[in-house]
Amino acid sequence: MSTATNLHQVSRKGAAAATGGQPILTVDHVVKSFETPQGKVTAVDDMSLDVRQGEFVSVIGPSGCGKSTLFNMIGGLLSITEGEIAVAGERVNGPHPSIGMVFQEESTFPWRTVEENVAFPLEIQGVGKAERLERAQHFIKLVGLQGFEKRFPAELSGGMRQRVAIARTLAFQPKLLLMDEPFAALDEQTRLLLGDKVTQIQQELNQTVVLITHNITEAVQLSDRILIMTYRPGRTKRIIDIDLPRPRTSEIVGSDAFGRYVAEIWNDLREEASQGMQDEEALAQQRKRP
Amino acid sequence: MASTGVLTSSERASGWRPDPVLWVRLAIIVGVLVLWQVVAMSGLLYQDVVPQLPAIVAALGRLLVNPELYRNLWVTLYETVLALVFGGVAGLFVGIVLGGSRFFGRAFEPYLYYLGPTPKIIFFPVMIMWFGTGGGSKIAMGAFSCFFPVALSVAVGMRAIPPILMRVGQSFRASPRQMVQKIYLPAMREPVVNGLRLGFGIALIGVLLAETKLSNQGLGFLVIQNYQRFDMPAMYALLIAIFVLSMGANAAITRLTSRSAASGAR
Repeated sequence: MSTATNLHQVSRKGAAAATGGQPILTVDHVVKSFETPQGKVTAVDDMSLDVRQGEFVSVIGPSGCGKSTLFNMIGGLLSITEGEIAVAGERVNGPHPSIGMVFQEESTFPWRTVEENVAFPLEIQGVGKAERLERAQHFIKLVGLQGFEKRFPAELSGGMRQRVAIARTLAFQPKLLLMDEPFAALDEQTRLLLGDKVTQIQQELNQTVVLITHNITEAVQLSDRILIMTYRPGRTKRIIDIDLPRPRTSEIVGSDAFGRYVAEIWNDLREEASQGMQDEEALAQQRKRP
Repeated sequence: MASTGVLTSSERASGWRPDPVLWVRLAIIVGVLVLWQVVAMSGLLYQDVVPQLPAIVAALGRLLVNPELYRNLWVTLYETVLALVFGGVAGLFVGIVLGGSRFFGRAFEPYLYYLGPTPKIIFFPVMIMWFGTGGGSKIAMGAFSCFFPVALSVAVGMRAIPPILMRVGQSFRASPRQMVQKIYLPAMREPVVNGLRLGFGIALIGVLLAETKLSNQGLGFLVIQNYQRFDMPAMYALLIAIFVLSMGANAAITRLTSRSAASGAR
């Protein structure tokens, strides 16, 4: 990391970054390998990353690079082969109360209304009904879904459902918001607008966020830093600081600086992605009947 | 899956409105009645086999004031409900085990699939030997019949729970008990309700069939008794009564289960 970026971080986040010496998330030389009939396969290889309070970090990589594996390890849903992950100074070995996950798939409970969905983590914690609905209300407002409290997910659009999922995870009040391609199933325009919403919420709560994505514009639009992963095994190829002004809106996608970041990242990702493509073609070739 | 449940409940909430489908349904009933009467009057078939509508209506009137009907109705209902309780609980349990474990599912399900469609009445002699000629063998027949659809439907429903919902539960640190209570059961509501509904119908079939074979009470017995007396109007009246009974029971079970599921989600 360059000194210039550090200065930038300090000036923007002020005291939080300056005094908060301890990072919210530490990923320390983490390795994940699986045993398969064909032998040992390493999905994630020696990855390290520190994320500070209030920072928005994206992890980007071609499909198959192990970024979802990393997501599941940070979230405590997958065991770590080597190395260590810590959140707020505590080692992660299972789902941690300081980490809130938002998943790529449709994950709202169809039998619960919007407010019952958002109140779910509070219900799990044993918060009383009146209080949890009141607290849920706050997060429903935050994602802009007021007026839809009594609706069921089936009555909402895909983008709205994903906002319900985000509100639900925010209601868990995690120190780290961990998201795995939360907008992957949405169209580009909805995605840009939801990006604005996420930026706004993140600034309002000073929320620390780690976003897993394969979408370059999304990563540049939202992030303070972007970690680029290599294709199989997933390693850290590079970490880029995004020095775009904040507050930021989706209008920034038109700026020259934005374009330069996108080009720079694509430059790095290109060979990884084409490597991935070749591998998949080779695999399909093998699968072909003789 | 669950979304259809949501839609129907909101449809219900929007109030009753006569729609074209309802008219068609009514027209079908009227059409069948008219056709019946025409055939009966034409003399193409024996008057005794196809009695005229007024004769059936009169028989229905006599039937409805006859205490014998209610005594036998009670017997059949009692046997059916007990059959559903035994067969349904066993089916629910086996379904959860088979649906929750790939191993058990793969090991046992073929038997369920092959035994499921087998007419269970062929086991009736065995039931008589085990449970006697009284109500026991009827209940056993009903329970045995309804066990299969309940077990299969629950197993399928269990497997249809999207894994993502379990991961959400885990990520929010739900305890195993909370997982069952707040995720598995509500997610499986629809298949369980459908299984029980199907199970009820099949339990009723099992019980009625058994009653027609060897019994001295119950609606099935009454049907056969009327048949043997060759009292066709009374027999048809009885069939109508049974038809209405199963429809009412079906509606009741739907209402009961949807209400308990709705309150369970809160």
